[in-house]
Amino acid sequence: MFPLLLLLCLPPALAAVDCNTEYKNGYQVRLSIKTALGDQAYDWNESEMFLFRATIAFAMRKFNKTEAYEVSNIVVCNQTPRVSFWFIVTSPEDPAQAISKNIVEQAVRESRNRINNAFLLTDKSLEFLGIPPTLAAPIIPATPPWLIVFGVVIGAVCAGIVALLVTSFVKRRREKKAKVVPEEEDQAKGTDKAVTGETFEDRNGVYNLGFADDDRFTQL
Amino acid sequence: MEKDERPSWDNPMQFVLACVSYAVGLGNVWRFPYLCQMHGGGGFMIPYMIMLVLEGIPLFSMELAIGQKMRMGSIGAWTAINPYLGGVGIASVITSLYLCLYYNVINAWSFWYLFHSFQSVLPWATCPLNSNQTGYLEECEVATPTQYFFYRETLNISSSIDDSGGVHMGQALCLVLAWMIVYLFIVKGVKSTGKVVYFTATFPYLVLFIYLIRGVTLHGAMNGVKYMFTPKLEQLANPQTWINAATQIFFSLGLGFGSLIAFASYNQYHNNFERQAVIVSLINSGTSVFASIVTFSIYGFKATFNYESCLERVRLLLLNTFDMAEDTISLDNIDYWISELNRTHPDQFASLAPKLDTCDLEAELDTAVEGTGLAFIVYSEAIKNMPASQFWSVLYFSMLLLLGMGSMLGNVTAIITPLRDFKVLARNFSNETLNGLVCLFCLLLGLGFTTRSGNYWFTMFNEYGATFSLLFIVLIEVVTVSYIYGLKRFEKDIEDMLGHRPNWYWKIMWAVVSPVLLISLFIFYIVDYIRGGTPTYQAWNPDLTLIGAAYWRWTTLVTFCEAKT
Repeated sequence: MFPLLLLLCLPPALAAVDCNTEYKNGYQVRLSIKTALGDQAYDWNESEMFLFRATIAFAMRKFNKTEAYEVSNIVVCNQTPRVSFWFIVTSPEDPAQAISKNIVEQAVRESRNRINNAFLLTDKSLEFLGIPPTLAAPIIPATPPWLIVFGVVIGAVCAGIVALLVTSFVKRRREKKAKVVPEEEDQAKGTDKAVTGETFEDRNGVYNLGFADDDRFTQL
Repeated sequence: MEKDERPSWDNPMQFVLACVSYAVGLGNVWRFPYLCQMHGGGGFMIPYMIMLVLEGIPLFSMELAIGQKMRMGSIGAWTAINPYLGGVGIASVITSLYLCLYYNVINAWSFWYLFHSFQSVLPWATCPLNSNQTGYLEECEVATPTQYFFYRETLNISSSIDDSGGVHMGQALCLVLAWMIVYLFIVKGVKSTGKVVYFTATFPYLVLFIYLIRGVTLHGAMNGVKYMFTPKLEQLANPQTWINAATQIFFSLGLGFGSLIAFASYNQYHNNFERQAVIVSLINSGTSVFASIVTFSIYGFKATFNYESCLERVRLLLLNTFDMAEDTISLDNIDYWISELNRTHPDQFASLAPKLDTCDLEAELDTAVEGTGLAFIVYSEAIKNMPASQFWSVLYFSMLLLLGMGSMLGNVTAIITPLRDFKVLARNFSNETLNGLVCLFCLLLGLGFTTRSGNYWFTMFNEYGATFSLLFIVLIEVVTVSYIYGLKRFEKDIEDMLGHRPNWYWKIMWAVVSPVLLISLFIFYIVDYIRGGTPTYQAWNPDLTLIGAAYWRWTTLVTFCEAKT
């Protein structure tokens, strides 16, 4: 539980810029620390706020390489127990003048990852309302991974089919060669066999059609 | 000399496994749980079991008897029974052909999902980014990532059946692979099929068992299982329940396609098909119940996950609007806070009301889905939320593949066996060539289902292609056997094969009960079709904007589709 702070009083030197009146140049920030970190959540206090202001100052410095922004240039107001507040960036040369929204937005977007990491949060748990997050570009590999798996499987299947076809082809060739030799011997044996060529001792024991029950065909 | 012997199964176990592999298919996984949910959960077992006994087992046994006795495929067998009824056999072959054309497309989709599971992040887990990387693609935002992946990336679906678009190359490749695998399994006829069914029949059970353990240990799974098993017995008074039970038994066993006749024709003459028919039918029904326990535990997990996400969204909305500290509202005291805030800040709360979702676990569980929607959208959504989701995804889609392949084996055998019975074809084409030509033919025609409008054609074939004709075919079959061929003669044939006559149960079912049931189902289908008016289909429209969007991105277009005969 932390106290309800409605207005944070800033050092008098910067009283000239009141973020209540400069809303059009300010951004609202919302942090969801407990939701994001659960047991490892830290309390939001003055030090954390100082860190926030420092990171925004860092972002502004990184974006605008000429100007030296200080922590005092980041003005914060309207803190709520939700842990949400508004901030405005003032110019280092003229503390009474606020930096325009666009520039702040670009600066934050550029260093968003660093800001998030400073608080162990993500784009969803550290929200800058009005600044859309730059989502990480998806890594597009050179070959789609599914094609690789597909290639492996279809290669295996092709190999299987070829193997089966070749073995049956070879087997049939061998049987044809083997048949030519016994047939020459059979012709010498005479006409023991029935005219249709079916033998009584059929090696495989298949149902002999010669003894079939012919009345399975219906009479009309 | 040509070899006149008919190839046969190496042992009766192969035949039983082939029948199990054929009968236990995708319908057990995606149709039965839906029916269970629609018709009163546990109470649906009663009509289901009754129909199994009245029509499932007798008709299954009859087809096996015919195949085993005549030792020919469906065309030859029916011509042998009565030369004028050879058309029944031809009808069976054509229906099998229709099924072969579109069924293997499901296997192609399963392959697509299976191959896409080998990635660190499952592609259907998140939406792709939009062009300036500030958010997600609009089409995906409005639907869900799993729906987007199925309709846009898998199918690249067009917005109407007329707009056929081009062939989706990935789908076409997967279809080619699916047909190559089917060819590999049936290339040597029953000799190769017999070896393969050891795997295709048993592996799905292993996966279902693993999923059962995983499913019931998921958070919220018990909600789903409880929901399923709470019988709502008042549904038994609804005639639709009984009709759906009868049709489910009928189609689940795969009667009328000629596959059972084809499989049985490779049996030894004295094989005890009667006992095997009872065993296979019971296994098929048992698998349906088993699969629905798994499905409902997954449903329960998904519903609980969605419900809790909904509550989380509401909680964040309240916190953000009223600027309260994060630990004031937790998921447990949300309702208290809603009424409290409504009381203390009525104006602010009123402005919030349109954005506030009502979270209802019952409503989540009530969303019943069947068919490809269940298999590819609902299940993949549940899987992406499981830990180690890639493993579960691979396991699940392999199971779908095996179920589908097992059924395909039966369907292709139903076409090939009668073709081989024609001596002209058997003499001029070897086994391998004929099988290859059939597979190639089906592949080329099946490419039509891989176009951008392919899913619409698929739905049409699935709903109208076989249902009607099968009822008619099996009705003619059972009437022929009981009355035209004569029950007495059939009894004698069975006594010849098994050594004992069929008892009174079989005779009453074949002669009276099953024909009556089939006639009433047939009449019901005709009446329903006429009353249904112009058939409609649901199309995917990518142009609808977010404003006024409902959760489901569908528009219903009215198009006249001709029912296939």
